[in-house]
Amino acid sequence: MSRTSAQWTQKPKLPPSHYADPLIYSDPDIFEEEKEKIFRKVWHLAIHESEVAKLYDYRTYQHPGGTQLVIVRGEDMKVRTFYNICPHRGNLLVYEPSGNAKKLVCIFHQWAFSGTGECVDIPRGEAGYQQRLCKEDLSLKEVRTEVGYGGFVWVNLDDNCCSLKEHIGPALDYMMPELEAEPMETLWYYQAHLHTNFKLIHDTNSEFYHDYLHYYNRVTGMLDPNSGYFQRKYEAFPNGHASVGSMMVKYDAYKGSGRSELGWPKLPPKGWKLVDLFPCITFNLRTSVLRIDSYIPLSPNHVILEFRILGLKSDTPAQRHQREKDAAVIWSPFGRNLHEDLLASSGQGIAMARGSESMHVLQAREEDLTIHDEVGMRHYLAEWSRRMGRSSSNPLAVPLARARAA
Amino acid sequence: MNTERTQVEELVYDTCMLLDAKDFKGYLDHCDAQYEYKLSAYSPEIKREMTWLDHNRAEMEELFHTLPKHNTDPSPLTRSAVVYKVSFDKAAKRANVVSGVHIFKTAIDGGVTQLFAIGKYFDTVALDGDQPRLLARHVKLDTRDLGWGHHIPF
Repeated sequence: MSRTSAQWTQKPKLPPSHYADPLIYSDPDIFEEEKEKIFRKVWHLAIHESEVAKLYDYRTYQHPGGTQLVIVRGEDMKVRTFYNICPHRGNLLVYEPSGNAKKLVCIFHQWAFSGTGECVDIPRGEAGYQQRLCKEDLSLKEVRTEVGYGGFVWVNLDDNCCSLKEHIGPALDYMMPELEAEPMETLWYYQAHLHTNFKLIHDTNSEFYHDYLHYYNRVTGMLDPNSGYFQRKYEAFPNGHASVGSMMVKYDAYKGSGRSELGWPKLPPKGWKLVDLFPCITFNLRTSVLRIDSYIPLSPNHVILEFRILGLKSDTPAQRHQREKDAAVIWSPFGRNLHEDLLASSGQGIAMARGSESMHVLQAREEDLTIHDEVGMRHYLAEWSRRMGRSSSNPLAVPLARARAA
Repeated sequence: MNTERTQVEELVYDTCMLLDAKDFKGYLDHCDAQYEYKLSAYSPEIKREMTWLDHNRAEMEELFHTLPKHNTDPSPLTRSAVVYKVSFDKAAKRANVVSGVHIFKTAIDGGVTQLFAIGKYFDTVALDGDQPRLLARHVKLDTRDLGWGHHIPF
């Protein structure tokens, strides 16, 4: 029998950790709070160091907290990050997404800055400011930056944040042999604007029950009893991160996959490792490429997805060609799996939009932490609730911190 | 306009209409046995060409063959091409063709049409048979953000 409105919106008869209130995916006030309490406080993967490989290379990054950044390899070859704003009149300092410049020069009034963030030129500075302002007072705002875990450049807007190592903890340990095997290089970078909530995308990366969506994953894994698919286990780590154990992907079962035997150094043949990092990063290593997902949420129902595909710096042209071909089968904008994932996440965004009277979202599968267990999502929302001081299953109740204090 | 150029232009337009109609057999009938298809886009962020599809004829056939097994956006696409330039190589009995292409998507629910992508076709056409045949097509996209993407090549 179908449900009435009251039945539809009532809380499931499950522990609160096993379902989420749909408001957390659509409420604009909660989204603004996420920006302050999460995005501006945690480490984000901004770029890969190969994108600023040479002296004076720069690369822009739209930080999920709402601040425009520019990442620069300075005179000392160190990678630093600054607010991408001229301290004079607030113009964007750098317009192009990447480039190479000895000095960053604002187009507006030609103020110039070095790769270490110092203001090095103010046209007619003394004539206008006399001794009231000098270049030393007008340097750029630097942002906490660390390079690591395979040469990725991580940034944190919070000057008082913990170290990157503390934030990641042991979550990436089981992928480190592959991440450190050889220097990597970004082969693809592209974005996708989607009208959905960023957490719904991360949810999709955090559970594999949705392999029913993917014909490719069913025939190359789920339907093969020898693949080890149903033995893959989730492991939850502090700070909301989680990983999924490897398996033997049966690529030959999908005719036309075009997959090679190229593989990835240290990754077992046909293996597949995946790590989800809180709040919106996924490391996904399979076939011969590493895929990195990161998100830039713009509103409760609008997100920019950033996709990177990485290969090895030492690749020959033939190897590079094969890596791209391997990636294209499932992960390009025309890939078999990515289109399906993004369709489903967008469908959630449409169906669960604000005012739609959506039901509570179930995250209740328990299968001894194996591949169709939904512990990844539960673990993520536990961290979300901790940081927000709100329960993800009852976000409008008295915030947790206030309740604890009372 | 000369007949040969008209035939080449019609080949380009036919391939658009056949893909729009999801008549994949009809599309492949216009392609040579050695057909090569490539789709790429240049990323100014990483200053690199990204190849998102790279198939020979057999792989294209397999791609079309497996489409029904996948979940795909059912909204129809309309490829609008304009042939800019046809360069004939009489000795090799080939033509190199450059066309601008706009791909529109019409939502299956409600029917609103939106520009989905723009780019160019760089085609190599064989002229040694009764009818011109596609030897190679390289789709160079200007658009890099394709939203939730698509399964059917442009």
